Amino acid sequence: MIVDNRIDFETYWRVEVRTVLTWTDEEQELRKAVRRFVEAEVAPRREELEHGDLAPYGIMRRYSEAFGVGDIAIERFESSLRGEPGPAVTAAQTLIPMIEFSRYCPGIVTSMGVSTSLTAGAIIKGGSAEQKERWVPDLLTIAKVGSWAITEPDSGSDAFGSMRATARPDGDGYVLNGAKTFITNGPDADTIVFICRLADGTEERRYATFVLDRGLPGLVQSAPLRKMGLHSSRTGELSLTDVVVGPDRLLAPAKKKSGPATSDRSSAMATFVKERASIAAMALGIIERCLELSVDYARTRVQFGRSIGDFQLIQLKLAQMEVARLNVENLLLRYLRQVDAGVRPSLTEASATKLYAAQAAMQVSLEAVQVFGGNGYMAENHVEQLCRDAKVLQIYAGTDEIQVSQIAKDLLRGRR
Amino acid sequence: MNIVVTVKQVPDTWAEKKLDAADKTVDRVSVDNVMNEMDEYGVEEALKIKEAHGGEVTVVTMGPAKAVETIRKALSMGADKAVHLTDDALHGSDALQTSAALAKVIATLSPDLVITATEASDARGGVMGALLAERLGLPQLTQARKVTVDPAAGKVSIERLADNGYALVEASLPAVVGVVEKINQPRYPSFKGIMAAKKKPLTTLSSGDAGLDAGSVGLAGAGSTVVDSQPAPPRQSGTIVKDEGDGGVKIADFLAAQKLI
Repeated sequence: MIVDNRIDFETYWRVEVRTVLTWTDEEQELRKAVRRFVEAEVAPRREELEHGDLAPYGIMRRYSEAFGVGDIAIERFESSLRGEPGPAVTAAQTLIPMIEFSRYCPGIVTSMGVSTSLTAGAIIKGGSAEQKERWVPDLLTIAKVGSWAITEPDSGSDAFGSMRATARPDGDGYVLNGAKTFITNGPDADTIVFICRLADGTEERRYATFVLDRGLPGLVQSAPLRKMGLHSSRTGELSLTDVVVGPDRLLAPAKKKSGPATSDRSSAMATFVKERASIAAMALGIIERCLELSVDYARTRVQFGRSIGDFQLIQLKLAQMEVARLNVENLLLRYLRQVDAGVRPSLTEASATKLYAAQAAMQVSLEAVQVFGGNGYMAENHVEQLCRDAKVLQIYAGTDEIQVSQIAKDLLRGRR
Repeated sequence: MNIVVTVKQVPDTWAEKKLDAADKTVDRVSVDNVMNEMDEYGVEEALKIKEAHGGEVTVVTMGPAKAVETIRKALSMGADKAVHLTDDALHGSDALQTSAALAKVIATLSPDLVITATEASDARGGVMGALLAERLGLPQLTQARKVTVDPAAGKVSIERLADNGYALVEASLPAVVGVVEKINQPRYPSFKGIMAAKKKPLTTLSSGDAGLDAGSVGLAGAGSTVVDSQPAPPRQSGTIVKDEGDGGVKIADFLAAQKLI
């Protein structure tokens, strides 16, 4: 029997074309529309947001209203209360604004994501109907600002293992004590999701999650901490001293799909998967903007009688930036197409995407500063800000080291 | 209210605008194209009137296949449906021909109100509103900074922008109204709007579908022709006056030479 094992090119190309990684028409429209908003609303205020005292919440509210983002979130939320599906939100609708905002102020993405996604999401997952009604709508429309408090001075990557904040049962309620740090929106939050160890926790339930309101006796929200970058996101510390809360503030533990066993830890881990994909979106925004600014500068900056783009060492930098841009864009498009097809990317893949994208953003933004030379080192230059901002992508949502270990462990276990 | 709003795809405001070397028409291929910025005010006003009085907003454009992007933008802002007149034979049509073609399409829609911008940023003729009103046999209100529609009374009134204030002008419906940028703040297309735009009804017509004679449109039959064009001369570098103790005198002499003092 003769086996024809030549490649069937017609089939090959058909498959390739079907899965080709490009932006859809709608995605391009979304990008254009949000870019226009960002260039009109964020770009002119970048100086105040990054080097002044302008909090980002007003811009976030205007964005939410202008594009009907809050309305969609409320519709979905109300539908979910009735057990109905609600209007669909594609992954692109979530990730594209992150790309576009990150071209100017990545901090706004952090601030908005923590308030509308992490904080509201935690209450939606673990809240009773009453608790959801009480806190979620205002968070979704950004009428109120939310914080999600897990990190402590001595617990970062090992968020649960080293956690010291506690909830001590007291009558019907609990008494909360502890210190949280690096809390996004911490100085301004109206609604805080607070994760802590249960003082008399059992094997089934060692941790508990509470919802706190600004102004609770014993709760102190610090002024913004000074940090290396991401200044448009205000970060603070929370201090809880004998904060008395009723059972109405305790969220139910997340339910595992199989069996009745419950775990707040698995709920937080699920949140990490989406969070890691969003880092790739932020990285892409930073890379795109650094590349655009660098190409423009290489064309117009004249030294030794010629534009610096004529020098091969500058050309190498630009070419490497473009390679990074394409790679990160492809990873992001792969994620989007998987989600569109109903496939949830594994934590390993999300980790690999995050690891690569964060490192690429760091490398590209450092090289952008180098292309700009002395000008790039000046605080008034946008690439200087983006370079400081890029560093956090290697740290939050799981450090590079955590991503590496996640990926390697799964590979060694035979999983991907 | 059955509202028609005209839109046009033009080269991006910031793009270097060029004429095609071969036929001296606007080069729409080598640049990014966007909805004429002033048309966004027209679309916004149409949507506001619809929101206040009910009805339907139909977007009408004439332009190459790519102009569908501009239609989609208007649909994503909230317009209900669109008509796209597109045909290679229409290429190079002048304002007279374009107005005849658009009027033919608009007449089939029987609008209560036709909204246009004051001008498009590519050719900047500023005549389309008047030409359409003439061809449709409708009254035209121009330079509107505010539009008030009273469907029950069958009239539309506007605040017409003037050099030293505004004039109140009204017309019976149906009418053609031209709006200025001061009239509103165009909305961003909502995420829902963007996702829904592709599903909204879009009628694509060739010149034949629209009942236009082949000879009545296009470059060959155009009444006006661009014969030649020259780019604007680059700005001359200024005169540098070096102050050697007599800077003030030199500046005064310069201003006097320009007859400014």
